[in-house]
Amino acid sequence: MSNIIKTIDVTDSLENLKDVCDIENGRIAGKIFYDQAIYEQELEKIFARCWLFVAHESQIPNTGDYVTTTMGEDEVIVIRQKDGGIKVFLNACPHRGNKVCFAESGTTRGFICNYHGWSFNVQGNLVGQHESGIYEASDFDKAKWGLKEVAQVDSWKGLVFATFDPQAPTLQEYLGPMTWYLDALFDNQEGGTEFVGGCIRSTYDCNWKIAAENFVGDILHAGWTHDSAARAMLGGSVAKVSDFEESYSVNWNGHGYEFALDTVGNVAVLGESALNKYLHTIKPSVAERLGEFRSNMIGAVSSCTIFPNFSFLAGQNTVRVWQPRGPNKIELFTWVVVNKSAPQEIKEKWRKGAMMTFSPTGVFEMDDGENWEYCTKTAKGRVTAAQDLYIGLGMNSRASDTSLPGNVFKGQLNEANARAYYQQWFDHLNAKSWKELPNRNFGKQEAE
Amino acid sequence: MDKVYLCKISELAENQVKRIDNSEHGDIAVYNLGGNFYATADLCTHATASLAEGDIEEEMITCPVHWGQFHIPTGRAQGFPCETDLRTYPVEVEGDAIYALVEVAESALIAKC
Repeated sequence: MSNIIKTIDVTDSLENLKDVCDIENGRIAGKIFYDQAIYEQELEKIFARCWLFVAHESQIPNTGDYVTTTMGEDEVIVIRQKDGGIKVFLNACPHRGNKVCFAESGTTRGFICNYHGWSFNVQGNLVGQHESGIYEASDFDKAKWGLKEVAQVDSWKGLVFATFDPQAPTLQEYLGPMTWYLDALFDNQEGGTEFVGGCIRSTYDCNWKIAAENFVGDILHAGWTHDSAARAMLGGSVAKVSDFEESYSVNWNGHGYEFALDTVGNVAVLGESALNKYLHTIKPSVAERLGEFRSNMIGAVSSCTIFPNFSFLAGQNTVRVWQPRGPNKIELFTWVVVNKSAPQEIKEKWRKGAMMTFSPTGVFEMDDGENWEYCTKTAKGRVTAAQDLYIGLGMNSRASDTSLPGNVFKGQLNEANARAYYQQWFDHLNAKSWKELPNRNFGKQEAE
Repeated sequence: MDKVYLCKISELAENQVKRIDNSEHGDIAVYNLGGNFYATADLCTHATASLAEGDIEEEMITCPVHWGQFHIPTGRAQGFPCETDLRTYPVEVEGDAIYALVEVAESALIAKC
C-alpha cells in the first residue's frame, strides 16, 4: 500500500486551446503537433491519467515473467504475480531513481539495482540491500521502500492496460461499448489471441497524435498514400472504399473504430492467400460466437485506436503503441497478434506478412512515416503552426437508426472519429480531474 | 561439540531447504539434496538474508536477496557479492532425526573475525 505512486499535482490548463482545437467548427492547428508546453500538458493530463496499453497477457504467462514498456515517458515493468495477477511498477529504484530493469522481457525472481544493490522481489517489495546492516542501524522501514506501484491494472481479452490515476474510471467504463468491436479481432475464436515474435521498436520524427489519429479513422489516406505499396503486394490498387455499400465510423470516449464489412480487405494486402482462406474458414464459427455482423469485420478494411495511443489493424493483425518522446518524436512499439488456436504455419505467415507491410521496412509503414513526419515538421514554422487545418469530413453523418453500440456514424471516409479523438484530447487538457471531463457520448452502451 | 536437533527426515522433501531457529549458534539451514542431508549457517555472509528462503539449483543455494550462490556441501562462496564462505556443519541421521554437529569453539573464532 505504501508503495503506491504518489499522485502528482495537476497544473492549470493552457489558455486559448480553442484557437488550435475547435472541433465544432471542424478545425485544428499544427501547433498541437509541435508545441512543448502542450506536450507537457499531455504527459500530465493524458498519459498520467488515462488507461494505457502495457502488455498482452500471452507475453507473461508464468510467475516472474515480465516485459518493460513506457506509460507516456515513464518507464514501467509489467510482471506476472504468483497469484496469477499482474502488477506494474515504475522502472526506477526508490533510493536514487536508477533504472532497475534493462531488458525488454524475461523471467526473473526480482530486480536488483546496479547502484547500491537494493533488491526487489516479484511483488515489488524491497527484500534487502548491499551493506544491509547500516540500514538496520538507521531505523530504516523496508516495507515503505518497495518499487512504486501503478494505481490500477486490468485486462480486456488479453490486452493489459494500466493507469497511474487511482481516480480513473474502471477499464470497462473507460472502453465502454468499444469492447464489442474489439472482440471482432481479440475474441473471435475459443482461447483468444496471443502475440507472436517480439516487439519491434522504431522511431519517427512525428507527433504521437498524428499516428494515433490515422488509426482512429483515416482510411481515406490509403487509396492515395498506399497505392504503390498495394500494387507491389497485391498486384493491384487498394480497395476503393467509397464503393463499399456499408461501412461505419464508431467512437466512444475518444476511442474510434472505422470499418467495412468485407471480411478480408485488410488481410489481402499481406499478399498471403492462405490467410484469406483461414479467415473464410473460421468465419462461420465467428458468426456463431459473435454474430453475423462482427464475423464480417475479422479481416475487413478497418483500423482502430483506443485513446490515447493504442492502435491495431484487424486483418494485418498489427498491434501498436505510439509512445510519445517529445512533441515531435515517437517510439513505435509494434507486435503481431494471432488467434491462439490458429495453425502454426498460419501464425508464421501473419508474422511475416506484418513484417513486409507494417514494420520499419514495411511497405505501408514507410509510406505513412513520411507523411506523418512532414505533418509534424511543417508545424515548426511559427506562422504555419497557427493556420487552420481542416477536419470536417462527415459533419452530418450520424447514424440515428442503428442497433450498433457506441456513437455511430455512416461511412468510413469520415473524420467523425478523428474529431471525437481530438475532442477528447481537448477535454482532457481542460479538465483537472475525471469529474470535470464532459461526457460527449450519445450512442448506445450495448448492442441490441 | 553440540549435537543440535534439526528436524525429521519426513519434514524435509528432496531438494528442499528449511530454516531451524537457533539463538545460541545462529540459525541453521538444513538441506535435502537427493536424499543426502547437509547443514549450513542460514544467514548469508554478504547481507541480511535467510538462505532457506532462497532457491536450490543442483548443489547450489541462491540467496533470495542478491542472488549470490554458495555450494551447499562445502559452503564455498561462488563470487561477488558472496565472497566469504558459508559455515557448514557435519550432519548425523539417527532413525528419522537429523542432527548438526556444531563446534562451539569454532563459533567463537568466527565471531572474532
